[in-house]
Amino acid sequence: MKKQKRRSLIGDILGLIFAFLIFIIPFLFMLTNSLKDRRGANQMSLSLPDVFHWENYTEVLTFNHGIVLTAFKNSLIITAGAVILLIVTCAMSGYVLQRRRGKVMSVFNAVVMAGLMVPPAILPTISLMQGLHVYKTLFGMIMIEVALQTPFTIMLYRGFMSTIPIELEEAGYIDGCNRGEMFTKVVFPLLKPVTATVIILNAVNIFNDFTNPLYFLPGASNSTVQLTLYNFMGQFSSSYNLLFADVIVITIPMLILFIIFNKKIVEGMVAGAVKG
Amino acid sequence: MVNVSKVTMDYATELKGVITMPQIGWVLDSDERNAVQKQYQLQIATEPSFAETVFDSGEVESNQSQHVIAPVELQSLTRYYVRVKAALTSDSTSTWSDTASFVSGLCQNEWEAEFVSADSDADAENSKGTYVRKGFTLTGKVKEAYISCSALGLYELYLNAVIDLAKEKLGITVEVEQRVGGADGDNIVKTRLASGDMADICLYNSGSLLNALNPSEYFYDLTNESFVSTYDDTYKETVTVDGKVYGVPVASTQAGAILYYKPDYEELGLKVPTTWDEFLANCDALKAAGKTAMIGTFADSWTAQVPYLGDNYNIIAADPSFAKNFEAGTAKYATTPAGVESFQKMVDLNQYYNEDYLAATYDDGCDMLANGEGTHWIMLTQALGNIYSLYGEDVDKIGVFGVPGDDAANAGLTVWMPSSLYVNKNAENMDAVLAFMELYTSTEGLDAYAGVIKADGPYCIKGYELPDDAYEAVKTDMQAYFDEGKTTTALEFMTSVKGANCPAICQEAGSGQTTAEEAAAAYDEDCKKQAVQLGLNWE
Amino acid sequence: MNKKKIYTLWFLIPSTIIFSIFFLIPLVSSLFYSLTVWDFKSFTFVGLDNFKMFFSERSLSTSVIHTLIYAFLTCALKVILAFFIAIFLTSKIKTKNFLRSVVFFPNLVSTIAVGITFAALMHPTKGLFNLVLSTLGAGRIDFLGNTSLALFSVIFTDVWKGVGVATVIYVSGIQSIDKTYYEAASIDGANGWERLKNITIPLVRPAMNSVIILSLIGGLRSFDLIWAMTGGGPGFATDVVSSVVYKQYAAGFYGLSTAGNVIMFVLIAVIAYPLQRFLLKREES
Repeated sequence: MKKQKRRSLIGDILGLIFAFLIFIIPFLFMLTNSLKDRRGANQMSLSLPDVFHWENYTEVLTFNHGIVLTAFKNSLIITAGAVILLIVTCAMSGYVLQRRRGKVMSVFNAVVMAGLMVPPAILPTISLMQGLHVYKTLFGMIMIEVALQTPFTIMLYRGFMSTIPIELEEAGYIDGCNRGEMFTKVVFPLLKPVTATVIILNAVNIFNDFTNPLYFLPGASNSTVQLTLYNFMGQFSSSYNLLFADVIVITIPMLILFIIFNKKIVEGMVAGAVKG
Repeated sequence: MVNVSKVTMDYATELKGVITMPQIGWVLDSDERNAVQKQYQLQIATEPSFAETVFDSGEVESNQSQHVIAPVELQSLTRYYVRVKAALTSDSTSTWSDTASFVSGLCQNEWEAEFVSADSDADAENSKGTYVRKGFTLTGKVKEAYISCSALGLYELYLNAVIDLAKEKLGITVEVEQRVGGADGDNIVKTRLASGDMADICLYNSGSLLNALNPSEYFYDLTNESFVSTYDDTYKETVTVDGKVYGVPVASTQAGAILYYKPDYEELGLKVPTTWDEFLANCDALKAAGKTAMIGTFADSWTAQVPYLGDNYNIIAADPSFAKNFEAGTAKYATTPAGVESFQKMVDLNQYYNEDYLAATYDDGCDMLANGEGTHWIMLTQALGNIYSLYGEDVDKIGVFGVPGDDAANAGLTVWMPSSLYVNKNAENMDAVLAFMELYTSTEGLDAYAGVIKADGPYCIKGYELPDDAYEAVKTDMQAYFDEGKTTTALEFMTSVKGANCPAICQEAGSGQTTAEEAAAAYDEDCKKQAVQLGLNWE
Repeated sequence: MNKKKIYTLWFLIPSTIIFSIFFLIPLVSSLFYSLTVWDFKSFTFVGLDNFKMFFSERSLSTSVIHTLIYAFLTCALKVILAFFIAIFLTSKIKTKNFLRSVVFFPNLVSTIAVGITFAALMHPTKGLFNLVLSTLGAGRIDFLGNTSLALFSVIFTDVWKGVGVATVIYVSGIQSIDKTYYEAASIDGANGWERLKNITIPLVRPAMNSVIILSLIGGLRSFDLIWAMTGGGPGFATDVVSSVVYKQYAAGFYGLSTAGNVIMFVLIAVIAYPLQRFLLKREES
């Protein structure tokens, strides 16, 4: 037994060393360089800054009349809007798709499965959005994110529905619920755990999305945080201190989310990936 | 007798866009001796009648007539009227001065406008500079309107400099309408031309894009105007369609050329090369002396194509009809010796680059050249402006020569021409417009322009001497090519066919991944896509 | 209860509308537009010219090969590395919860941020990686500039960022294995390797299948990391289909870009779908 204890201690130490070298150093690198002056950061070393240049952060936040803050606002609107819509639409769909059988349902299920794999057809989408006058708008962007995350979210809800006993619903009918009340009063509250997962996973995906805003939301006025970061890459190509300050700033929301929901995220990943 | 003659606000007689109350001053005119002011009264109002004032100093016992501070909290975007009267120790009292006025800007942090910038990230990546323009429509009748604008970098300041001059000299008021950039702006121009709704003067690209506008239909033929005879011939070609001249150059030229660090040349006793072989010999000498002969900034991939773009002089020198045949699909780079050579040059340079040339950016390149960490950089001369803003007068340590070819007697420079102003055929105020154009191209006009922005290259006007404070490289090195007439425009002014993957193909050749023949063939293939898109028949 | 009546199709309508307008209709029309020269306003039908161009031009066709290398290599590395990390993180160590979080966290950082950071770490002269290499006495390596290496440097970064997700999936798979199997095995005198081979690997298969499919599809679609780190360069050395799609879009070749998009659908359909079928079958048997 003693031998095993020692072995696990060695495991702990090795694990920590490797984790530090491989996963923590890159974050320290971002942090320390975000606090140096331009010259210091451009040397790209891991050393601590001589003087802590906190003003890098104010400079990033006020740069270009606070475009980062505007971008934060936009990203939050898109993320919140899309997540709320996804919860409402996909909980309903997942519920029916799990409970009902038949030919129509297998078509729907096949489409959902295909939607998980197939990438969006970008230019026809832009063309269609122009026709609907929603191209380059936050509303259009929300719709795109909802459409793209729908298969995954339906899959999560459908998977979770299979763990909810149908007897609960039967009891509901006996109490005289109609099908609307059935869903809102009986089923939806039972979906709470998976809804938490849906919120977190979709929020992370949408907040960190770069590719879709790049195509569907070009232009400065509706920029998102990932787009501004990408643009800074060009503008601050010789000011790594500001670049990394921006990296840190836009990573903080995810860090907070992570600290609060650490366990849920992992559970959610597992639920989504394995049960599907 | 006493008169208050000149009321100033922050030393100016006219003022717009202030956000705090300016200091008021005035001048007393009197025919009395030892006239000393005893007393003044200052009034500020938002109505010229002064029926109601926002500030009235009352009669103040003071000899102060400058830096008078009025405790007024400004309202945004308001015109304030100011008048003063004064009394002397001799008790003679003036009447109210003429009313002066100023307009406040956005004082209360109520800036709400969105910044406009490049239309899409794709645009931002493809263009070397971005013009941003914004158009809007006014509804209702306007008595007086103020525009508040602010910009990152420069906007139409330079144009304004000439416009101010026009007002002063010719009494012409020019109103500038801004339009959006990119493809949208392009469409606006085309639609307004087609619907006959174009302003008197229109700013648009020179060169192949002008051809596509069908200028004879819409633009006034300037061929016989006196100022056209002062044009540089190379520029003139880019605004000439079917033998008629349409444009007036709006800014200075710039070149795609070899920028070099002169102290290194002096140190090693090198001469400016006139052939490519001489240039390579210089590079060898620099390399042997332990210097970085070439600066490569391939991390900004567009910079990798400048050696090819800047070599157009030599291609056209070898085959003057190349551009025309290329557009028609009958000439190819891969089958034109000078074309292949153009790509060969990039392959040749590979061994001289700085160690991190694939990771260095345009900004790094400016730093390296200004500090002499590399001797040559093949770049657009707009880099001089960047270096000037970072290192000031050190910019004059940098010289410029064109990408050399084979013929020492015919060493020239590849030039990028400015956009041009075009005159609407049906302009309402044709006389005024032509007078303005003449002023724009006159020494005086160019001086006004150059007073605001330092030129990245000579102007397209023959005989105009750049001001003394112009960059050394522009004033002497580049000007010489213009004086000798040894300039050719970049290919993009001759044909609208330009491969979208040009940067990546040049990156490959410049980093030794492909041979010159492969790169030339790849570029031909790449251009075919553009030709297909443009509807040219290349089969 | 009448199931059809209770589980009304009305509930599917909101999802169906949004998904159809913003995903399905463009998807179907892309098949048509990929056969045209197109600028949003007008189009000219050109048959299969776009596809011919895609496969005849080296800069475009290499992107297909790069995509395959990228997808298979990231997938294989994640499947293998994450498995061993997961075994380690389910052993009897005290810090496993902390370490799981650490391994997972990169997945929450935006891809662009990761790309910027690693591009800096991989800088040919100043980067930390080269600093370490030179103190170890090895020569400098131009991770992103060397054309035969650049794609693999990006793949490395992708694995760094994505291995956490794979690990978490494995961990859950391993944890759901009934402990009694292991107890029975140790009574029979099986050593650690035998237990791993005969119990863990077969029983963790469903989790492994998820990891394979997820990372393969992710790899085939990958764009943002490559775009942030190399922009497809140097030259075309790291261009993948999705970056080519973007480049053609930026250049205004909308028909060609859409053709690239269609090629991506086909790649995924041809590779991922049969693979999933196969894996599911194996799981069931």
